[in-house]
Amino acid sequence: MPEGALDKNMKVLVVDDFSTMRRIVKNLLRDLGFTNIQEADDGSTALPMLQGGDFDFVVTDWNMPGMQGIDLLKAIRADANLAHIPVLLITAEAKKEQIVMAAQAGVNGYIVKPFTAGTLKTKLDKIFERLG
Amino acid sequence: MSALSNCHVSLEQAKSLVEFLESGQQEAADELIAEIQNPINSELFAEIGKLTRQLHDSLMNFQLDSRLSDLATADIPDAKERLNYVITRTEEAANKTMDAVEAIFPVVDTIQGQIETVNPLWAKLMNNKLDVAEFKSLCIDIDALLTNTGNETEHMRSLMTDVLMAQDFQDLTGQVIRKVIDLVREVEDSLINMLTAFGITADKALEQTKPKVGENLVEGPIVNTQARDDVVESQDDVDDLLSSLGF
Repeated sequence: MPEGALDKNMKVLVVDDFSTMRRIVKNLLRDLGFTNIQEADDGSTALPMLQGGDFDFVVTDWNMPGMQGIDLLKAIRADANLAHIPVLLITAEAKKEQIVMAAQAGVNGYIVKPFTAGTLKTKLDKIFERLG
Repeated sequence: MSALSNCHVSLEQAKSLVEFLESGQQEAADELIAEIQNPINSELFAEIGKLTRQLHDSLMNFQLDSRLSDLATADIPDAKERLNYVITRTEEAANKTMDAVEAIFPVVDTIQGQIETVNPLWAKLMNNKLDVAEFKSLCIDIDALLTNTGNETEHMRSLMTDVLMAQDFQDLTGQVIRKVIDLVREVEDSLINMLTAFGITADKALEQTKPKVGENLVEGPIVNTQARDDVVESQDDVDDLLSSLGF
């Protein structure tokens, strides 16, 4: 994908219950040039933020207290105003059944923890390349 | 009548008994009766003795199992404390490390920016195409770069020492977790003993070994991916699975 085709000003929401993981993802995204990043600590915090703001991309964990990542994904896909937002799952959940479930729920990318900066970059490029 | 089968009253004993009673020797008659009954009594006493010992052993075992209540009331809450300590320490370490790294990023950005400023004139200098005015400008830029780099390397060295020192959690959390593993092993042994006491063998219990998955399928990190066939082992496996689904 040509350099710069990815809009680095897009508004990104990072959802994870562990602040350290949010910080890691934020730093990696920042290193990739993203500057407009916000955080939420679970699905039920994230959903109103998404409904209230013009987010372009969601990176979420699966296993969180309150609303889980998979349920957030389903809620996003079920909301006509949010359904278009690409969602990347970054999770320790590694059961094939879960990956299939996420795919069926309409996830745009699935990264298993522990992951590398390279993996994140590859998946982001792939997601936005597809969305064109 | 079988209960009396090993209780033999001889004719002689019966005659003696009658004699004792007729002659008013009540004590002697009682003694004789006791003597005749003796075989039954000794068996009965032996049986009671055996039961008493079993009861005693069972009570002793129950006392041993009071370790279980210690485990529940003291050791397990202590283990929870220990594991919370692990969470706290690892979180602190992660944050300390990221504090340092986040402080290093802008320093690197500044140095990179200064190098980019110097580069065009430096290239000209190397090709002997630099005029005097440019040379002066280059000198000022290089001076700034050297001063800044000199100061910042010291700063970065100290930040990297912070990163290094933040790793000291590993030793401490390792020790704490090892203690918790010992406790888990002890609880496991106690539970197996208890199951055995109730007649459930460990083998039978082990037959249903698959740990239950929590609500909404979540299980967290899989630590034994190689031993399981329902999980992926790597990102490549995830990608393969997704592409097989048409992703």
